[in-house]
Amino acid sequence: MNKDLEKVRNIGISAHIDSGKTTLTERILYYTQRIHAIHEVRGKDGVGATMDSMELEKERGITIQSAATYCSWKDIDINIIDTPGHVDFTVEVERALRVLDGAVLILCSVGGVQSQSITVDRQMTRYNVPRIAFINKCDRTGANPERVVNQLREKLNLNAVMIQLPIGLESELEGMVDLVTMKAIYFDGEQGDQLRYEEIPDHLKDDAEEKREELLDAVSMFSEELMEAMLEEEEIPEELIQAAIRKGTLDLELAPVMIGSAYKNKGVQPLLDAVEMYLPCPTDIENTALDLDKDEEEKTVSNNPDDPLVALAFKLEDGRYGQLTYVRTYQGVLKKGENIFNTRTGKKVKVGRLVRMHANEMEEIDEAGSGDIVGLFGVDCASGDTFCDGKINWSMSSMHVPAPVISLAITPKDNKAQDNMSKALNRFSKEDPTFKTFVDHETGETIISGMGELHLEVYIERMKREYKAEVEVGAPRVAYREAITQRAEFNYTHKKQTGGSGQFGRVGGYMEPLEEEEYEFVDEIVGGAIPREYIPSCDKGFQASMEKGMLIGAPITGVRCLINDGSYHAVDSSDMAFQQAAKGAFKEGYKKAGAVIMEPIMKVAVEGPSEFQGAIMGSLNQRRGMIVGTSEEGNYTVVEADMPLSEMFGYSTTLRSLTQGKAEFTMEFSTYKQVPKSVSEELIKEYEESRKNG
Amino acid sequence: MGYEPLVKKNPLRVLNLAGNNKKMGLIMARAGVGKTALLVQIALDSILRGKRVVHISIDENLEKTKLWYDDILEVILQECSVAQPHELIEMVQQHRMIMTFKESTFNRARLEERLNDLILQDIFKPDCVVIDGFDFTNMDHDHLEDIKNLMENLRLQVWFSATSHREDDRVSPSGVPAPCHELDDLFDTVVLLQPEQENVQLEIIRHNSDVCSGDSCHLSLDPVTMMVKQGD
Repeated sequence: MNKDLEKVRNIGISAHIDSGKTTLTERILYYTQRIHAIHEVRGKDGVGATMDSMELEKERGITIQSAATYCSWKDIDINIIDTPGHVDFTVEVERALRVLDGAVLILCSVGGVQSQSITVDRQMTRYNVPRIAFINKCDRTGANPERVVNQLREKLNLNAVMIQLPIGLESELEGMVDLVTMKAIYFDGEQGDQLRYEEIPDHLKDDAEEKREELLDAVSMFSEELMEAMLEEEEIPEELIQAAIRKGTLDLELAPVMIGSAYKNKGVQPLLDAVEMYLPCPTDIENTALDLDKDEEEKTVSNNPDDPLVALAFKLEDGRYGQLTYVRTYQGVLKKGENIFNTRTGKKVKVGRLVRMHANEMEEIDEAGSGDIVGLFGVDCASGDTFCDGKINWSMSSMHVPAPVISLAITPKDNKAQDNMSKALNRFSKEDPTFKTFVDHETGETIISGMGELHLEVYIERMKREYKAEVEVGAPRVAYREAITQRAEFNYTHKKQTGGSGQFGRVGGYMEPLEEEEYEFVDEIVGGAIPREYIPSCDKGFQASMEKGMLIGAPITGVRCLINDGSYHAVDSSDMAFQQAAKGAFKEGYKKAGAVIMEPIMKVAVEGPSEFQGAIMGSLNQRRGMIVGTSEEGNYTVVEADMPLSEMFGYSTTLRSLTQGKAEFTMEFSTYKQVPKSVSEELIKEYEESRKNG
Repeated sequence: MGYEPLVKKNPLRVLNLAGNNKKMGLIMARAGVGKTALLVQIALDSILRGKRVVHISIDENLEKTKLWYDDILEVILQECSVAQPHELIEMVQQHRMIMTFKESTFNRARLEERLNDLILQDIFKPDCVVIDGFDFTNMDHDHLEDIKNLMENLRLQVWFSATSHREDDRVSPSGVPAPCHELDDLFDTVVLLQPEQENVQLEIIRHNSDVCSGDSCHLSLDPVTMMVKQGD
């Protein structure tokens, strides 16, 4: 298959919760004739949106896993990834953006740029993803697209320019004026299938002219031809404007803004046209890989089907037929029946079934060209692995994975559940790099940790439904850490004599706080005070000590251990002896190094009517929060605060009763900070008691 | 607090305006000369003396206002090394609160309500308020006097910024340019900023209700940081 790459779009759809991502995707599938009936996200027909295939998603009306789908619009193939809005599933957004070329940023015409729109936008910027903004829900009371455009400029620093003007708003939304073609567009038929193009209504003519001028001014800088045409006051051809908008968008210097209401079937087809016209095809984007044979030298992938294969596995899912791996090819062709190599493990695998995904349905295909996103069955790999065909050894660069901040203890209800639980945990941690699991050796409990309460809740629910593993769940716990605040010396001798050969090793040096890194080992031993072969043993000993701190048993981070002295015994020294010596030395130093407990601090944004601002601030203040600031816009207000995660359990209930359910909050991990003394004492007391009882 | 040397080049300190509690001050300049930067300097000077500041931005967003503080603090930390920069940054965060308003909805009643939210619930008790982006063009004397009274009642020092325009040459007898020329009696201190080749010139027009003149009322500032230039 030698597909014309110019006719491929890999796009993502992302936004704040409840801006209508899934509804929009549903409409796109309908208009591109992938589905023949529209189901609502929280529809009464009980079917739920096509893209939310997981039962849980349908029940809760949210998207949990990003779904990949594929459709054709005119002669363009579009791969779409519908990403979750909730920040607990942020890694889903990250990995979707990693493989996408362009994105549609959806905003609610009432809510505007909300806290997660900011997060998503930041992620898009990180991966240099060009975007179109779509202001959805223009049929809602209080819709004000112009305000949203201003927010895009102010809050996201985007050079946002309207390329459409609404005809009517709120319940009177009829259609829109296209400022490029200067035509009014209406959507006829029950599902808005038929587009009717008309002259611009008289009352909007002046406004449209004015907005068109603004648009031309903004885009003329991306096209000399256009600028010339404007100076000569000629009739400006549409193509010239479109080309300029495309250039600005691809350069990430312009964000075209479109409007509509997916729910009311208005504005979706023009958005698809815009995806075609303004968003990049795979060859417009430069993607790089690292050549593992040449010291990780950066290589630009070619998108050429004739070059050796480079494909990235960006997402795993447990399907009915085993592991389903989502893959994006960057160059070469992925063919059924051929052998490919996983460059991380060096293992050879055979491409079994190759499918094009459409939410939970799939279409078998024989090969996938470069630039494509497809599903692969029967391939064992982890998320983020790169596949090549053996001729080259490249790896696509890694993606940003945030550390988990919250954990839960789970206990299986019976033996059967025990087996299924471990199967499920194995699967989930492979699928989701932000989901971690381990067994606490002291208590024997299985601990799962992740990005937020909802994140873990979803996995527990999935365990029950998909793996029939009923578990009992402990109270959520905060993932505390321990750290040191000052430099401390150590000099420890490990000596044991038990008939036969004994154990001997002495380790001297110091430890000190290390910023930004978790651990560093420095060897400054001179004159063979510790023989070379035992240096790695010291390192190992220190690292083992970092797993559990002495204050509350939390992992220790941010320590540099330096050794500069020691001694050994010709017979009694061994790897084991030096590991023990290092552990002893660490313990000795740690006691003097001003150890403290660190807790995750969340960035919290509470949005609600201004009349509740005082109450909201009060509630955050009570929970050890530090209020960063408040923004007021009309009768709507946002309070931003840095909050300890431990204080946020149950906050949604408090907030609901405080504001009659009119306010909502979002929360994401921000940083680790030292806990105040009073809290620290409490934690230590609790830990000691649990050890006594445990 | 031990941080005072960090702001030794703060213009207000050099001119001895810093300890001017419970008074109302005004910074005037044309657009883009550095009013916000100077307001942030005023706020930082208070914070480093252990006081709390509410920074009110009108028609500006929270993120951008925060950035002003981060940037200026970074410059200060580059010039004077501090043993525990994180502690200092944290202290600034804890002693500052930002509030943003839309111009159309900003008025005395709202301001009073918001400040009371903070003070009565013991969330944040400010000593100083800086108000950036306040529109003086349509401000009548009574309204501003009202705000002044509010601040006096709450025992707060307050600093405003106002934009003057090249084409508007109205001036009060004491030299305060439009749009504040008819309000100048309400301010205890009025400072004017003017671009001058590579520096920004700071001039005190009024202080403690006296009209100022002479060299002691002038300073050259670095246009990036709004700190007093080396050698001055």
